[in-house]
Amino acid sequence: MAGAQQGQQIDISSLSAQQLSQVKKQLDDEVQHLTNSYQSLKRAQAKFRECVANVKSGVAESTKDKPILVPLTSSLYVPGKLADTKHVLVDVGTGFYVEKTTADAEKFYNGKVEELGSNIKELENIANGKAQNLRMVEEVLRQKMIAGQQQGGQGSASTT
Amino acid sequence: MAETEKSGKDAPTNPRGIPFAPFVENVQEYVSTRADVEGVLKNFQEMISKYQFMQANTERRLAGLKDKIPDIQKTVATVQFLRARDPDAEPLETTFELNDTLYAKANVQTPQEVYLWLGANVMLSYPLPDAETLLEDKLTAARSSLSNCEDDLDFLREQITTMEVATARVYNWDIGERRKEKGDGKTGEDGGSEAPPNG
Repeated sequence: MAGAQQGQQIDISSLSAQQLSQVKKQLDDEVQHLTNSYQSLKRAQAKFRECVANVKSGVAESTKDKPILVPLTSSLYVPGKLADTKHVLVDVGTGFYVEKTTADAEKFYNGKVEELGSNIKELENIANGKAQNLRMVEEVLRQKMIAGQQQGGQGSASTT
Repeated sequence: MAETEKSGKDAPTNPRGIPFAPFVENVQEYVSTRADVEGVLKNFQEMISKYQFMQANTERRLAGLKDKIPDIQKTVATVQFLRARDPDAEPLETTFELNDTLYAKANVQTPQEVYLWLGANVMLSYPLPDAETLLEDKLTAARSSLSNCEDDLDFLREQITTMEVATARVYNWDIGERRKEKGDGKTGEDGGSEAPPNG
């Protein structure tokens, strides 16, 4: 993936200050969007890691006969005991729930964590590329402003 | 509320304390000279934005209630089911949520008391009949709040329209007066402008 030019082969120093502002704004928005996506992915990854920990510690032999509070609805809990320490139900998406052994569930969640990890890496690279473009555009814009001011200053100095 | 001084007459309120918008029958009551118009229009604008603010709040409350009510209904149904069960029946096998995508199985004996999450890190244990009563009370309260919110929203919408009509009337009256003044100033021309175009 081309780092600097990103499909627009025009030389940014050839753009006017106004166009540069527009490009800068666009890049700004894109970087913002990518950062948000990055954070969402990180959050999802953290949740899956939590699930791994839950399966390991919660649904284990050690908790077999311990009394637990079982949620029946979002605000109703009843005391109970863990029925099955070997199997858990995993939501694999699109309305499918699969009963897995604890070992398989752990594997499943770890797999998800890794998948997200690689997505996050890719996203990071793209975001960095865009941020770099943004910085370049800002730099050129600033130079144009300074040049413009200098010209204006020279112009007014010559008339006085 | 400060509304009463601002509107110039005593504003009665609806059951939940939202003041009525004064209906401008006769603009002269509110505005004696053209200089007053600015102040009156500003006043009206302020009232409109206050109503809109209240409207936004009420809408948010309504959305929250709409969310909560199905939850409370489910909880009530579950408690009723637990009550209906024979206390000596076999333990119930249930699948419960351990995490967002993770569920586990548990055995639940028919309990004599249940634990209710009341929010704000507070959970209390209630015997089954008390839990059912409490939840039913919550449900009726939520439902009546819901209908109050809906009434309030309708009422607010009406008041906002009334205020906008009042603003339009005052503005039109002002235009009429301006035309009259211009007409009086130019003695030659027929300054008798048509009556202000308010309906």
